[in-house]
Amino acid sequence: MESRQAPDPFSPPGPDLGELLTLVACGDQVAFETVYDRVAPAVFGLVLRVLRDSAQSEEVAQEALLEVWRTAERFDPARGTGLAWVMTIAHRRAVDRVRSERAAADREARVASAAPPPAADEVAETVESSLEAERVRHCLDGLTGTQRESITLAYYSGLSYPQVASKLGVALGTVKTRIRDGLRRLRDCLGVSW
Amino acid sequence: MVRLPWFLPWRRLLRITGHELAGPYALDALEAAERTRFERHLRRCTTCPAEVRGFAAVAASLGLAAATTPPPALKGRVLADIAALDAARSADAEIAAVLSAADARVASAATSAGGTATVVASRRDGSVVFTSTGLPVLPPSSVYELWFIGSAGIRPAALMPSPDPDGAAAVLVLASGLSRDDAIGVTVEPAGGTDAPTTTPIVVLTPR
Repeated sequence: MESRQAPDPFSPPGPDLGELLTLVACGDQVAFETVYDRVAPAVFGLVLRVLRDSAQSEEVAQEALLEVWRTAERFDPARGTGLAWVMTIAHRRAVDRVRSERAAADREARVASAAPPPAADEVAETVESSLEAERVRHCLDGLTGTQRESITLAYYSGLSYPQVASKLGVALGTVKTRIRDGLRRLRDCLGVSW
Repeated sequence: MVRLPWFLPWRRLLRITGHELAGPYALDALEAAERTRFERHLRRCTTCPAEVRGFAAVAASLGLAAATTPPPALKGRVLADIAALDAARSADAEIAAVLSAADARVASAATSAGGTATVVASRRDGSVVFTSTGLPVLPPSSVYELWFIGSAGIRPAALMPSPDPDGAAAVLVLASGLSRDDAIGVTVEPAGGTDAPTTTPIVVLTPR
């Protein structure tokens, strides 16, 4: 598989995020501050998208950024970009929070499902008008409606794929296939380097 | 180990249950148990790591597209957290160094105020780690102060953080400047500490 390089609108001049993370792993607080400035909007924005609550999102974003500091030595450039590594941490923390909240809500109120996830086109509309957001919106538009729905429910609403399946009333295998095919299409459209 | 019947197309079954989860995995859409199973599969699978890497990059783009300016106060809080963590980490390292020093010596005794005080000292490094449990909580106007007591005189060593009200957690203090013949004493002093003790020590420990 050949890796495709696309201009990354989020790479300002200067050392790349991966190099900075290597410095952070050695305890370099100045490098961490640069990392913060580069990734905090993405981390906070993503967490906010999943949790939809500003105060909670600040808390979870803070935990995620602290985890970046604490675990930077585990970042392995061979396994992906620095940004992908940071976003994985942020997303996982947001998902953990949203699932434990939902579990608590389910226990207390015996409600089967929590707040309804945003419709696919709502997600596309609320995306900020940055270059990256524009690119992502364009590529999401290239998916089938069911692929887009499955991916945004999983990623932006933090649902597990069985939850996505039951929400949409389709088989587990169908959701897995939609997610895989949709992600492949997005990968080709975004031309991400990997 | 369960033996699978030869007639089952188990290789194909494994591939299906494994590979197809790369997408949900990259989106954090697996439940905990399935995530663990897939991570195990990922280590053996030859094609999955590349697919996961590509999908994770897609996920990162989806995340990036949601970027929003965070509240300005967040930065100060995060930087304060890491500075505190860093300080704790280096203090931990110094404490660990004393505790594992080749010449580490221990002394422990009950104090006249209640509770127990223990010191571990490395005379070579001139460092001591002091810990106590069950010391009474002092009013805010007072503080426990540690002293080095020896032929070089009585010198202030450190102020103790306020003990835990339930007396459960041990208080840990690191101090350096220990001379060869010093003992370690503790007195109760006015908040902020003093340069010379103004009360009788509640305990004096001599690690040998």
